[in-house]
Amino acid sequence: MRAGGANSARLTARSVIPLVVVVVFLATLPLWVDDYWVRVWTGVAMWAGLAASWNIIGGYAGYISFGHVAFFGIGAYATAILMQPGLDWNFFLTLPVGAVVAGVFAFIVGWPTLRLRGAYFAIATWALAEALAQLVNTVDFTGGSFGLSTPGNAETGFFYYAMLIASALIYLIIFAVFERSRFGYKVKAVRDNEAAAQSLGINTTSVKLQAFVMSAALPAVLGGINAYWITFINPQSVLAGDITDQMVVMALVGGLGHLWGPAIGATVLYLSSTWLNAHFGSSTGYIAMIGALLALIVLFLPDGLVGLMPRARNMRLVRQMLRLPDRRADPGPDPDTSRERS
Amino acid sequence: MSALAVSDLKRSFGGIKAVAGVSFDVGVKEIVGIIGPNGSGKSTLFNLLSGTIPPSSGTIRLLDKDVTHQPAYRIARQGLGRTFQIPTPFINMTVRENLLAAAVEGEWRSARSRAEEVLAALEISHIADDLASTLSGGQQRLLEFGRVQMRDPQIILLDEVTAGVNPRLRQIILGRVRDLQERGKTFLVIEHDMELVRTICERIIVMDAGEIVFEGTFEEVARNERVVDAYLGRPET
Ligand SMILES: Nc1ncnc2c1ncn2[C@@H]1O[C@H](COP(=O)(O)OP(=O)(O)OP(=O)(O)O)[C@@H](O)[C@H]1O
Ligand SMILES: [Mg+2]
Repeated sequence: MRAGGANSARLTARSVIPLVVVVVFLATLPLWVDDYWVRVWTGVAMWAGLAASWNIIGGYAGYISFGHVAFFGIGAYATAILMQPGLDWNFFLTLPVGAVVAGVFAFIVGWPTLRLRGAYFAIATWALAEALAQLVNTVDFTGGSFGLSTPGNAETGFFYYAMLIASALIYLIIFAVFERSRFGYKVKAVRDNEAAAQSLGINTTSVKLQAFVMSAALPAVLGGINAYWITFINPQSVLAGDITDQMVVMALVGGLGHLWGPAIGATVLYLSSTWLNAHFGSSTGYIAMIGALLALIVLFLPDGLVGLMPRARNMRLVRQMLRLPDRRADPGPDPDTSRERS
Repeated sequence: MSALAVSDLKRSFGGIKAVAGVSFDVGVKEIVGIIGPNGSGKSTLFNLLSGTIPPSSGTIRLLDKDVTHQPAYRIARQGLGRTFQIPTPFINMTVRENLLAAAVEGEWRSARSRAEEVLAALEISHIADDLASTLSGGQQRLLEFGRVQMRDPQIILLDEVTAGVNPRLRQIILGRVRDLQERGKTFLVIEHDMELVRTICERIIVMDAGEIVFEGTFEEVARNERVVDAYLGRPET
């Protein structure tokens, strides 16, 4: 199957038009919908950015992080702490601080575990998130289990645009780095075959570590904006394990390792959870829906919803991740034949 | 200067002595063949030379520098390129992207044009946009060979790169190897195809049970009784 065409100029035009429509829709949204919908779409933007950041390590690098909420939480607490009366930091200046702290934590966790198999990394990231939640619960400057409040800002529009711009920037960075640069090739080569990547001169541990640090720093920015937005944070709201689950599920449903997968997954899932909540007032339906969707995806649509688009790249990431036998024929070695198989 | 100098190299897996004390030299611009029955330790030797797995003991010198125990990526950066017996395509990338990914640690600006050259030379331009996972075994071996060329290494290890490749493409690979040799490259080639070994290898190392049992020209190898016993006498598998 083809995964890119000769007729690329036409293709670009065809993919740019929907993009322009989406951008215009998002940029003008607060001008023609009410506050409720602005808040809903602020949530969509945030989750798209979070899932996209998770996709860096989970989809592009192929290491499953089960503790990504830690980085979101670090960003939230960095902003909340620095904006407390007495410190009174400017909101925008708190965002890079959260990103750097999250990056440092990622480095510390990734350094020993990213040279091992994925299971160690998954457990280590999960443990980081758990440990961090415990720590935040017990120490003083985080407000313990009571939490912290951030100075109020009643403007929904401000948070909508802040979240939208942050998520759009995250997307731009991911596009530039993973779809266009030399570094992107390195990361994907390491994911697809580590021994081969090394034999080509790629320092695989370092590449994975860089990808993980990036994947951790970006959600911290969204965590910071979120903390300011919801005006009150505690471990239950910004360090809960189901935040990680959402990132993973959104990336999987949208399309693991695909650029637009996380955005599509976040839009579909966040909107449906909002709708289910509004109509049935509980999250049970949502959880059942997620379960069914995941099963369908693993079985029939391993590239997620992106796989429904024409010319979508047919990857094997979900199957590799779950170590499922591949249903497509594996060429493998055929040393006994002198003729080429086809 | 020798391209490669190996001294008393050993590696065992549990009780199996896969490489049991191997020493040899390869000169610059030489094409050396390595033959031996299945399980004689040829691929393990390549894995040791490229740093893919660490040796139990012994030393490896690459272009007069000790590279023993260095990680594979460092050895690669010092000028060693290799293919794997079981092809290792980047399966979620296209053929062209596989070639580009092979150039990330080298000259990047010319990578695209060099990729087109390699595609043309190996006659795989028509599948350049296909995902590597959809290729046949023979095509994957060609891609493996193409990737090595994208890095311009001084010493190239080829592990059964022509197995499963049709006769015409095999000629293309041979032509490429000769071209590269003329440009100063050194080759170490594991092959089961004796005709191929005879045509390109100036010297042949015969391995059996992890040891070098003979070294010489093809004619000398063919005349040697120990070799015939160990290898040529057995029916081809
Ligand atoms: N990773 C490993 N773990 C355990 N045993 C191994 C490993 N790699 C190789 N061996 C064993 O080492 C011995 C040498 O294997 P090797 O693959 O080097 O042989 P070979 O000469 O390349 O054979 P072939 O011609 O079949 O490719 C075999 O007995 C093999 O089973
Ligand atoms: Mg072998």
